[in-house]
Amino acid sequence: MSQRIEIVSAGTKRDLGRSVGATAILDMSRIAGVVDYRPEELVFTAKAATLLSEFEAMLAARNQMAGFEPADWAPLFGAAAGKQTLAGVVAADVCGPRRVKYGGVRDHVIGCRFINGAGELIRAGGPVIKNVTGFDIPKLMCGAFGTLGVLTELTFRVLPRPQNAATLVLRDCAPHAGLAALIAAAQLPVEASGLAYCPHDTTPYSGAFIRVDGTTAAVSEKLGLLKQQFHALDFTMLDAVETDQLFRTIGDGSVIGADGDIWRLCVPPAAAAKAIARAGADVWYADWGGALLWLRMPATAQSAEKLRAIAAELGGHATLFRASAEARSTIGVFEPEPPVRAGLTKALKQAFDPHNILNPGRMFPYL
Amino acid sequence: MIDLPAPDRQVIARRDQIAAALKAIVPDGVASDPASLRAFDRDALTAYAQLPLVCVLPATAEQVSAVLKFAQREGLRVVPRGAGTSLSGGALPLADGILLGLSRMNRILELDYDNRCVVVQPGVTNAAVTRAVQARGYYYAPDPSSQIACTIGGNVAENSGGIHCLKYGLTTHNLMGVELVLINGERLRIGGKFAGAGGLDLLGIICGSEGLLGIVTEATLRILPRPPVTRTLLIAFSGASAAGRCVAGIIAAGIIPAALEFMDRRCIDAVERFCAPGYPPDAEAILIAELDGMPAEVADQCRDLSGIAGQCGATAIRGCADEAERARVWSGRKAAFGAMGRLKPDMLCMDGTIPRAALPQMLEKISALSDHYGLICCNVFHAGDGNLHPLIVFDCMKEGELERAEAFGADILKLCVEMGGVLTGEHGVGVEKKALMGEMFSDADLNQQQRLKCAFDAASQLNPGKVFPVLHACVELGRMHVRDGRVPFGNLPRM
Repeated sequence: MSQRIEIVSAGTKRDLGRSVGATAILDMSRIAGVVDYRPEELVFTAKAATLLSEFEAMLAARNQMAGFEPADWAPLFGAAAGKQTLAGVVAADVCGPRRVKYGGVRDHVIGCRFINGAGELIRAGGPVIKNVTGFDIPKLMCGAFGTLGVLTELTFRVLPRPQNAATLVLRDCAPHAGLAALIAAAQLPVEASGLAYCPHDTTPYSGAFIRVDGTTAAVSEKLGLLKQQFHALDFTMLDAVETDQLFRTIGDGSVIGADGDIWRLCVPPAAAAKAIARAGADVWYADWGGALLWLRMPATAQSAEKLRAIAAELGGHATLFRASAEARSTIGVFEPEPPVRAGLTKALKQAFDPHNILNPGRMFPYL
Repeated sequence: MIDLPAPDRQVIARRDQIAAALKAIVPDGVASDPASLRAFDRDALTAYAQLPLVCVLPATAEQVSAVLKFAQREGLRVVPRGAGTSLSGGALPLADGILLGLSRMNRILELDYDNRCVVVQPGVTNAAVTRAVQARGYYYAPDPSSQIACTIGGNVAENSGGIHCLKYGLTTHNLMGVELVLINGERLRIGGKFAGAGGLDLLGIICGSEGLLGIVTEATLRILPRPPVTRTLLIAFSGASAAGRCVAGIIAAGIIPAALEFMDRRCIDAVERFCAPGYPPDAEAILIAELDGMPAEVADQCRDLSGIAGQCGATAIRGCADEAERARVWSGRKAAFGAMGRLKPDMLCMDGTIPRAALPQMLEKISALSDHYGLICCNVFHAGDGNLHPLIVFDCMKEGELERAEAFGADILKLCVEMGGVLTGEHGVGVEKKALMGEMFSDADLNQQQRLKCAFDAASQLNPGKVFPVLHACVELGRMHVRDGRVPFGNLPRM
């Protein structure tokens, strides 16, 4: 009988995904420390359990940042904020609002070292941005929840931090109009770095939010273009500090609140309004230009059926993000895979973890 | 010299029968006579040629599926091909393999501006995507230099780059979904018009898999609104190291140019003689910097970038006044490969990536190697992202020059790895660089990659002989794996 090893570093997201039913815990928290940071190369390498806060502080000191704007979901799961590690962020695909401009976690992890299920130390990718040498295994590790390997080291591409940022807020718009505004804003050459919508009664924010950044001149220029586009609507503006607070709240999911089950539904942005109308969530908001819908809905088989049907019809996938361990195991957390795809997933598990010992069952019963 | 899997004589003897079976699947798209096959005997790594067993050009995903099902049943090898512009031999045929050409599947299926994406078949050319959306003010960002000919299917297979990668990424950053046909003929959709994978990020490993995992029959691509302003600067330096310092200074100042290209003295001379782009005659090195975005933003960045160039000792900084001047400045860079033909009839284009800071040191070492091998090497460099293209010129009709050029190239790539870089930035491993994979990866690393391949293609029928220096049977990898890697992997025979 082989072990079932649960991989843990800070442990802030252990309730995200299915229960592993671990027979052993592999505590990675001592595998930490910055290996190499070269601001002029835009490349940062650190041991897996290096704190995200340390990474962000080092980048900030050199006017740089992580392009995927890692969120902090710990409070959603009843844990303390500020504790998560790089490996946790990568394994759980913790990506914030900036995804609309710079892509997801997978677009910023350019290299990694990990231990596969046979105990071999494997290196993949490299410390340069442009690299097509061998399969892009670092991408496969992003969002794999530790089911394919134990991450020991990560290399990120990083970006210059924009000098300034601001948000155009369209107040008092109904869901249909708000989501349509996000689509319209995404088609302007302002390179919006945040596109979110919170309905009327949402606290602490409501409205459609369009974030732009760049040099101070660029920000005012981009705001000008947005004001021209939305001149007929009631709008206001947020400065850089307010913008930062707003989008932190959007990314962290705290708009949804501390109570209730949470689903995250990904759909094509232009289908968001339709998806929302059909989902019938009592509390919800949209990020990534409408491509990500946070929904407070009960973790029931009925909700699952409804959301999976929406995803199947419109294109996309639903994740049961916060629920009891029992619900997560019985309903399932990630979008169920059609047989051909499940076959590939099983074969990949076999290729990386032949004894099925690394976080077994975390994503699917077979992964 | 490269080695490919030994051809199976029995398969070659069955050529007519195999061609007939493929004709039953694709009645109007099978070639099996030597004259027709000649058109497919090589890609853009022109030093190597091989007639395929038979060439099939399906017109639909159903036909692709049926061809692969047939190949799997018969145990036949399959080499996929787009436009055949690979510089690494990714589409080099096998004597006993079916060449599967996707060029007939060339329809743009959907333009979806609200979701900022297009859906295309694999045989659509890269440039055709931008052409289809530019009237609405959009473009497709990846722009490999072969973009008027190369296809999206090939771009996905090779994770193609171009000159705008630093700011806009490679194909993988602009690819949202594919329909993939597996070797058993099964079709599946991965990704689409939405964000996130919903499970393992299969799209991430499909892109750049060099035709080893499956055949892409449809791709969903991100399109971007065209920036309102683009400005191009030509900057001259009296030495390569000053240009290198300038590149580091630009990045450190938080400027991400849309493009930042470097050319050395030899290359400048060659292109001046070829198409006279008007580069400063006394320059030892030049940078072409392109900035795009909103007008004031671009003006700010031009000012800052010029200031940095001045501090780094630029001998001339010239902003292009109009579109004609901009086109002229770029014409020299784009003609660099062609200009090599004036020096010698043949050329090898290398493709390593290095940390940007290592550029001056790298150029010195390349110069020393050039003397050692007695061959001229001109350097062009995507300086923004560290992707180096040394162009080694030679004459393959002269005894030993091809071998010397290849040895020179291999030494350059080994240097790239030594300096903390990688073997290939955008051209792929193919057959060209597979023997060097061991410079960058351990046996365990390579075996892990091969096991990933086995998860998709257990009998190694898709593009065998590419990427991996030693081809292990999947069953061997599996058996050894259970023994915890204690059995050495390296001494298996080459297949």
